[in-house]
Order: sequence, then structure tokens, then C-alpha cells
Amino acid sequence: MFALRRAAVRAIATPRPTVVRPFSVLAGNVAHRDADSLIGPGAQPGTVPTDLEQATGLERLELLAKLEGKELFDMEPLNMTHLGTKQNPIVVKSMDTTRFVGCTGYPAESHDTIWLTVNKEHDFDRCPECGSVYKLDFQGSEDAHGHH
Amino acid sequence: MNRSVQAHPFHLVEASPWPLAVSFSLLTTTLSGVMTFHGYSNGTFLLTLGLISTVATMTLWFKDVSREGTFQGHHTFAVQKGLTLGFVLFVVSEVFFFISIFWAFFHSSLAPTVELGAHWPPAGIQALNPWEVPLLNTVILLSSGATVTYAHHSLIQGNRAGVIYGLIATITLAVVFTGFQGFEYYNAPFTFSDGVYGSTFYMATGFHGLHVIIGTIFLTVGLFRVLSYHLTDHHHLGFETAILYWHFVDVVWLFLFISVYWWGS
Ligand SMILES: [Zn+2]
Repeated sequence: MFALRRAAVRAIATPRPTVVRPFSVLAGNVAHRDADSLIGPGAQPGTVPTDLEQATGLERLELLAKLEGKELFDMEPLNMTHLGTKQNPIVVKSMDTTRFVGCTGYPAESHDTIWLTVNKEHDFDRCPECGSVYKLDFQGSEDAHGHH
Repeated sequence: MNRSVQAHPFHLVEASPWPLAVSFSLLTTTLSGVMTFHGYSNGTFLLTLGLISTVATMTLWFKDVSREGTFQGHHTFAVQKGLTLGFVLFVVSEVFFFISIFWAFFHSSLAPTVELGAHWPPAGIQALNPWEVPLLNTVILLSSGATVTYAHHSLIQGNRAGVIYGLIATITLAVVFTGFQGFEYYNAPFTFSDGVYGSTFYMATGFHGLHVIIGTIFLTVGLFRVLSYHLTDHHHLGFETAILYWHFVDVVWLFLFISVYWWGS
């Protein structure tokens, strides 16, 4: 009944080839792991497992990225380094073909939030309030429609 | 076949029968509860059915959550944050639930009406002595707060034996507390239907007792998940929320002891 979790996880995880495509800036060594590396060694019998021994799936990827001093998911707000122009737009990375951006102008918080839909198909998207230009940098794959 | 990892840290749950199942279970429980209180036929039978199905669906639902977190790794840092926040908000709602019960108690007891003999406890009611079993139960519950802290710190430090023994001690104290409350109820010289004193006393202590039982089950689940190597030294949200819940139940008891048992006697 109280089996070590490692065995149970191995039984569940069907080893299919997995290409890990992280959200934004990760280097290659985290970006290509097979299913097996998503399963830790597990705890020694009679000990409390550590996160690194036990964590699996997405949680494990997050931990491994943190070990390399990186974040698997870029959750930071867009950095407004300048007012975007057609020549020098604010680049918006996205895994999807569109991404919603709430513009507050430059410097940030200069005007009320105005929501723009930055689209991969558009040459550029411009905020009607401050005129800042945004450009989608599509990071996903064309055939990936797997999200719920 | 290539499968890319999702582009965000959030857990988009899969289709599940449990929200619907638990809705019908709760509907059955409340309706048959009212039927039972009003003496309709088959009320208790339906209430038993409702309670069993509620507990069953909750068990299966939480089992799914454990599987998603422990075995499938869906509980990223962002998801853990969301779960913690959700549970804290649930405890806040519980605080207000108990505030309403205390409100009823103080409404009746602070300025007792002439029908009660302008006195609290009301004329003819012999209240329990707070310095006997209630004081003992206070000591027991506070001690269980200490043992559960020992268990938690043992887990964080990777001391498996410590967390197991700490939890066994906590759960034992919890069961003893519930036993003593049952003993008090059995020997109390007043009943639920003895006017507003009985109503407020049993509503307050009864709902607290129910929460103690739920908290005990919650901690027991944590113990079994430690025994099954589910919980790591730094990822054990189900256990942490159980501890938070247990401290909440502990604090409610202190308010009960001071106002209902001591001041109210
Ligand atoms: Zn703008």
C-alpha cells in the first residue's frame, strides 16, 4: 500500500518521445529532455523525498530550470524600454498567434490600460492612445493546436 | 508524435464528473436534511444516502487532485500559489460562518430577554462547569497544535519518523478531544431543544466538533500521504492546508471556551 512513489510514477507515465518547448528564453539543455528525465530517482526508503528527487512533469521542468538559474515560464510584464515605433517596435513573444497586451504607454503607467490584440498576421499593432507600436514574435509551432 | 510542453504554468483541468456529482450529493444532503428535521418519512434514509455520496465524491475528487499534483506534476509554483490562495479564502469564509453563530449566541446572551428570566444562562438551565472537561479539552487541543507543528518541522527537515509520530500524536489528541465532547454531550443536563441556550450552545460547539472531525480526517489523509511517500520536504500543500485548518479549529475553540463555556456560564 505504501509503495515508493517512483515505481507508481513509472507505471503511469507512458514513455512517449517528448519534445519540450519552453515558453521563452530557455537554452537548449533544458529544452530537450525525454520523458524519462521527467521522473526523478525518488526517495530512499524511510526518508522524506526532496522536491528534486520526487517532482515530476511540468513541476520538475520548472525545478530543473531554476537549478540552471532560469525561469521556465516568463511571467514578467512586458518591459517598456521605449515608445515602440514601426522601425523599432516593442517585441512581444508569444506561443500563440495572438497575444493580448495592456498598453500603459511609455514610461509605463503613463495612461490608462488599453488592451490590444497583437496578431502574428499584422505588420504591426499600434496603441490608439500613445501610438506605441507592438510586433508579435511568434515562438510556437504552426500545427500546435493542442491547448485546451 | 511530438508533444510540446504547455506554454504556461497553469493547470487547465480535464473534464471531470466530480463537480456535477458533488452538486447532486449536496442537493440530496440538504433536502433530506430538511426532510429529517421536519419528520418526513424516509428522511434519515435519504440523508444517509446524501452523506455517503458526498463523502464518496469528495474522496474521489481529492484523489484526482493528489494524482494530478503528485504523480503528474501539474502543481507548478503558480498552481501551488493558486491552491494556497483558494484555501485561505475558504478559511476566511469559515471564519464568517462561525462569526454568524457567535452573533446568534451574543444576540441572545448579552441582553437576555424577560422570557429567559433576564439572566444568562437562562433560568432553569444548569450550564457545564468550564473548569472540568472544557478546560481539559482546551489543553488537549492546544497540545495538538504543538504536535502538529513538530510534525511539520520534521517533514521540512526530512525527518520521516518525526512527521509520522508527530501526526499520530496529533490525530490521537484530536480523537480524544472528540471523545470528551461526546462524553459532555451525553452527560449534559440540557438539550438542543431547551430554548435558546441549548440551541446556541449545540450549534456553536456542534459545528466546531464537526470541524474537528473534518480536520482530523484532513490530517489523517496527510499521514497516509507521508506513509505513501507523496509529500516532499518542500512541496506538501495538502498537509500545510490541513495544518492551517487545524489551527483555525483550535482558535475557534478558544473563542468558544472563553465566551460560551466560561463567560456564558
Ligand atoms: Zn499606449
